[in-house]
Amino acid sequence: MLALGVGWLVGASLLWQTDVPDSLVLPEVDVPVPQDDLDRAERYETFMRWSFLSSQLVAVVVLLLYAWRGARFARESAAGRIGTGMLLGMLGLALVWLSQIPFQAAELWWQRRYGLWTTGYLDWFFENWVVLAAEFLFICLWLMITMALAAVFRRRWWLAATPVFVGLALLFGFVYPYLVINKRDPPADLERAAERYARQQGTDEIKLVVEEVSDFTDAPNAYATGLGPSRRIFLWDTLIDGRFDDDEVRMVLAHEIAHHSRSHLWKGIAWYALLSLPLLAAVGRLTRRRGGIYEPHAVPLALLALVVGGIALQPLSSAVGRELEAEADWIALETTRDPAAARGLFEAFTLEALQDPTPPAWAHQLFSSHPSVEERIAMAEAWRRLRDRP
Amino acid sequence: MAPHPVRLTVEDDLHRSRLTVFFRLLLAIPLLIWLWLWSIAAVVAGIANWVVTLIAGRSPEGLHRFLSAYVRYTTHVLAYVLLAANPYPGFTGSPGYPVDLEIEAPQPQRRLVTAFRLILAIPALLLTVAFIGTSGSSGGEYGQTSSEPSWWSTGSSGGVLFVVALLGWFAVLATSRMPKGFRDLQAYGLRYVAQVLAYALVLTERYPNVDPAEPTATGPDHPVRLVVSDDLHRSRLTVFFRLLLSIPHIVWFALWSVAVFFAALATWIAALLTGSPPSALHRFLSAYVRYSQHVSAYLFLTANPFPGFTGTAGSYPVDVELPPPGRQRRVVTAFRLFLALPAFAVSSALGTLLFATGFLGWFVALVTGRMPHSFREAQAYAIRYSAQGEAYLLLVTDRYPFSGPALGSPPEPEAGSESVFPADPAPSIA
Repeated sequence: MLALGVGWLVGASLLWQTDVPDSLVLPEVDVPVPQDDLDRAERYETFMRWSFLSSQLVAVVVLLLYAWRGARFARESAAGRIGTGMLLGMLGLALVWLSQIPFQAAELWWQRRYGLWTTGYLDWFFENWVVLAAEFLFICLWLMITMALAAVFRRRWWLAATPVFVGLALLFGFVYPYLVINKRDPPADLERAAERYARQQGTDEIKLVVEEVSDFTDAPNAYATGLGPSRRIFLWDTLIDGRFDDDEVRMVLAHEIAHHSRSHLWKGIAWYALLSLPLLAAVGRLTRRRGGIYEPHAVPLALLALVVGGIALQPLSSAVGRELEAEADWIALETTRDPAAARGLFEAFTLEALQDPTPPAWAHQLFSSHPSVEERIAMAEAWRRLRDRP
Repeated sequence: MAPHPVRLTVEDDLHRSRLTVFFRLLLAIPLLIWLWLWSIAAVVAGIANWVVTLIAGRSPEGLHRFLSAYVRYTTHVLAYVLLAANPYPGFTGSPGYPVDLEIEAPQPQRRLVTAFRLILAIPALLLTVAFIGTSGSSGGEYGQTSSEPSWWSTGSSGGVLFVVALLGWFAVLATSRMPKGFRDLQAYGLRYVAQVLAYALVLTERYPNVDPAEPTATGPDHPVRLVVSDDLHRSRLTVFFRLLLSIPHIVWFALWSVAVFFAALATWIAALLTGSPPSALHRFLSAYVRYSQHVSAYLFLTANPFPGFTGTAGSYPVDVELPPPGRQRRVVTAFRLFLALPAFAVSSALGTLLFATGFLGWFVALVTGRMPHSFREAQAYAIRYSAQGEAYLLLVTDRYPFSGPALGSPPEPEAGSESVFPADPAPSIA
């Protein structure tokens, strides 16, 4: 156990290292956005934040009740140990899903009100069922693996389960780019820029793809995904619809390429392994009173432990996300050498994506997977000052 | 419970005239024209009957007689067109046809039930679609309409009565006899359609009963039987999410089906060479047949508990009894796939009944926490036929599926054997 703990700390400290200079001090900056727009972004995010918090609270309460009484649904099963566990897992998620509908509906209403999301309520309702179906498949797979491993390794199942789940995460990370639908080729000038930036960042060429999402959202976004030969960068078509100038789009491109060139996808999986280990160990420990995860009756409690554990680890995983995003911002600045474009891009995020540039500290620490707009503009400014220093 | 006031009687010897069968649809044209004209009058009379019954609380004798004759005539014409009977029917709806109706004299009817009769009839009318299909459909494209999660039953189904009539047409031309299973199935469907018609026309307030059980019906013994020990109780939560809860099973079923394809091929070759399927493969395929029916039963609410993933015998309240491996005729084995096609069509058509009762039963079970007994029995019948079809195709048995609702008496259970499930107040072996 001690060796595991030491190994964990060593691994975490290695993964925490980034190319952002340790000595970098972010200057104080103003976000040059009209006050009305700042207020609008703040109102929007405040509602979303509290809705999220409330929904998490309700989910935990539902799972608490389910952990208390849910095991009796085992009588609805004729499926043996693992099958009954699957049923209990799915029912737990179903109850949580039901409890989240009011919050999700309210959030959709809010997003539509602010023009960020254009999905209709009926479409949203049916899509929600599809999401639940996917969650059911996921929890069944999760329980099948853990309950089968528990039969072999008993109390130490979590030690065996972690590499299995990491393997699955690798597999999913590899195949994900191929699962994205509604794709098209990018403009040629962006493709050329992507090639150039990849060379500058010392990595092989990465395929650039435009994902068509404008039918249901106006929010701009981009992401890096895939591993090895499946590495891709997806730009939402809402990012290249003319609201952002070419330099700003290139800044996004350089940022996403940096995720690949600095192995952030691999680091993400490594962090996943590091966070999964204690989480699964906690699930194993907590369910021991009910016979461990081997027993289907322990599944409701395991669900509770997973969700509460996930919430408890949220600040850490958010912090990891912010570190990686900050590094990608830094590398993008080094690549494009265009802090003005970075500044313009992040200001536009406030206007177009309604990102509150200065969220409350508690919310930022708990939930933000990216630096705040203010921090990102400050980094651009810090990079400019470093460059301009004689 | 008292017998339903609308009862079907069958005095048919299964013999058919090849000549009249060959031209059956054309011969029926005068009957259909007359039925169409009579239907217009029946709609008017039905409205009048509704108004009078609403006021007086009882159907007037004259209207009741007229509408009863209409329902009876409709049954005669359908029986003739669908080959459920042989002789040309009369035009008056008088009793005495081989497939006939007994309709009881007018009884008092509750005004509230009468007032909302058409609305109340909607579920029954929806179920009728499973029997007679939608207008103009007597079977769609394979793979488009059935929702049973079994490749055995993924084919089409318009109305099961028309599918059976089409198959029966060929059988009669070849043998001059209507297969008993087909005729019994049609009698079941005609009975239900007549009850729906009588209910909609306010001849009776007794709701149509889709339970295929008929006290006087008999059938042959069959080595593939369905054992139902379900207590009709349903958990509302699992009912609400039933489709999604079935997803792991559907995924597992699809994976298993791939293996079954190769296992069936190997079994077919082995059975052709040796005359009987190898035990291990027979066991594997039997488990698959059981499993697919467990999943069907779960998905369509025929049973309540979440089924296991292994198709273990006796593990589910709607279970399939299968025969041990035995000798099978090589000629039947050689052409098994082609021979199974008619059964495939019937199974697909019955899949519509399974789906329709599952769909309606979903609402009922959500409200009451129970599945209606008649729905469960209709589903058990469809599942039993599907199991027989699968078992036949996959060489578990060389006995052809029997499409009638009733089978012969089951063998006595072995001493000391007991079900792990609560006893059904009305257990059935379909």
